[in-house]
Amino acid sequence: MAQKVAAEMTANVWKILVKVGDRVEPDQELAILESMKMEIPVMSEGHGTVDSIAVQEGDAVREGDLLIIIDS
Amino acid sequence: METQTNTALDEIRQRRELAEQMGGEQQVKRQHSNGRLTARERIELLADPDSFHETGYLGGHGVYENDKLVSFTPKGEVVGSCDVDGRLIFLHAGDFTVRGGSATAGDHGALGMESSVVVRAKEWRVPFVRLLDGAGGSVRGFLELGRTYLPDGNSFTQHDVELLQHVPVVSAILGPVAGLPAIDGCMCHFNVMVRGTSHLFPGGPPVVKAALGLDVTKEELGGAEMHTRTSGSVNNIAEDEQDAIRQVKQFLSYLPSSVDEVPQRHDPRAPRLDAAVLRDLVPENKRQPFDVRKLIDAVTDEESFFEISRDYGRSRVTGLARVDGYSVGIMANNPRQQGGATDPAAGKKAMHLIQLCDQFHLPLVTFPDEPGFMVGKDAELAGIERAGAELVWTTCRSRMPWITFVVRRIFGVGGQVHHRPTGMFRRFAWPSAQWGSMHISGGTSAAFKSDIANAADPEAKRREIESAMEAIASPFRTAEVTLQDIIDPAETRDLLVRFVHEAQRVLTTQVGPPATPFRP
Repeated sequence: MAQKVAAEMTANVWKILVKVGDRVEPDQELAILESMKMEIPVMSEGHGTVDSIAVQEGDAVREGDLLIIIDS
Repeated sequence: METQTNTALDEIRQRRELAEQMGGEQQVKRQHSNGRLTARERIELLADPDSFHETGYLGGHGVYENDKLVSFTPKGEVVGSCDVDGRLIFLHAGDFTVRGGSATAGDHGALGMESSVVVRAKEWRVPFVRLLDGAGGSVRGFLELGRTYLPDGNSFTQHDVELLQHVPVVSAILGPVAGLPAIDGCMCHFNVMVRGTSHLFPGGPPVVKAALGLDVTKEELGGAEMHTRTSGSVNNIAEDEQDAIRQVKQFLSYLPSSVDEVPQRHDPRAPRLDAAVLRDLVPENKRQPFDVRKLIDAVTDEESFFEISRDYGRSRVTGLARVDGYSVGIMANNPRQQGGATDPAAGKKAMHLIQLCDQFHLPLVTFPDEPGFMVGKDAELAGIERAGAELVWTTCRSRMPWITFVVRRIFGVGGQVHHRPTGMFRRFAWPSAQWGSMHISGGTSAAFKSDIANAADPEAKRREIESAMEAIASPFRTAEVTLQDIIDPAETRDLLVRFVHEAQRVLTTQVGPPATPFRP
């Protein structure tokens, strides 16, 4: 099953910490968003492999926008 | 021997049985297969054992043949009083098994009508609980009446409006709830709805289809997920009906029975976490968020924190808790959401909690890490400026004792609403505090725009000005002049306990209806 990781708020994508094909663990930091001068980590909920990344560093995102798909 | 009394007693028994059958076996079965409990089963969950006292069970529609009752449809509601954790409340439970819980104009206002449980709750000075399941008026009612009617629901809703100023009112949304009951669902101090089996809207999907030609599912239109996360019309989501009733009881446990009393003290408990963890809570890197719920766990009595509207306006955390056994309101910015910035949704949560504390005599305890009001186009479209004015207004109008610990940032007008210049107000700051009318980065670019633009190396100029500003930003410099107390974060719990004890004397002078009426 695929885990769709979405932005929880309006923000900039500051860093993407994984690449397609990476294995990820629960609570692993996948990316860091920047919102109101705060670095906000985006965490993985479960085990899986990064299937695709929908954004690039520097992109502006809004609540609900897809960031990363993880295949588990 | 057949006496007149015996016959009458038989009739009481018979009519009580008819009432307890509700909409009949078929309808009760259908209610259960839809994953929902009946009104009476819900009351059983809410009430202390054997404490429910039903009133008006004779109400309904009887059919007579030769002056003999041959069939009876009970009214679509079960009402009465009961004890909840040893305290009296009045309740109203919609009964979906009777006509889908819909009412008709004929259900109200007959000459000689007993006063409603809403009026009684106000006169008895006790909390009122609604267990909602059912729609409002139905066009089927027109056929029964043989006419239509003016929608003068305010003739009885005025009592629900007035009730809000006197006693705690809670609504549990436990099924499809539309029309006036949907408004009652929000005419309260706290509401909760069940995931998957409850829906709230003025009119459901068929009404939307007829009015707008749009197809929409009831879950999209008025599901629990949507209302607790996006619309904010409902405070909390419950996993099932048992959870919903548990939340109703827990919410009530923090409040007095009416505005004329202060909340009861419970057994004091130590916090789950040691206050020393607070020394390491705020990261060295000012751009990193921290776990604000951990902070709350280190200062409130163990397992006493009851979060309100967790999924809505997530840049604030609001709820009720106990400190040394005394009820308090808790509010903190959550830096993990939009850096903790206050948007209109977070502002609504803040106002709701301030009103609750003000009305029911709970000290307010706040932990600002406030970058300011949310900026950007989305916030403007959502009306951040008027929302800000309302929040400032609500803050300044409040009276309850208020203690605040400045955890980190407190900037701009968003920061201003963490302060009240009147009444019992106490502020402490942690050494990690930073403050000002604006953030230094960002503020510098705005205030020194031309100095920066005209410099040979604008970026170097900006950094130079910023570092000069950072150098004077130590909170200790502010304290020299303003006498602001800066504390070891590990002292927070002890100072809080002391304040909450001191606040009790002030709270007893504030009993009675609120100076500012509670708005739903």
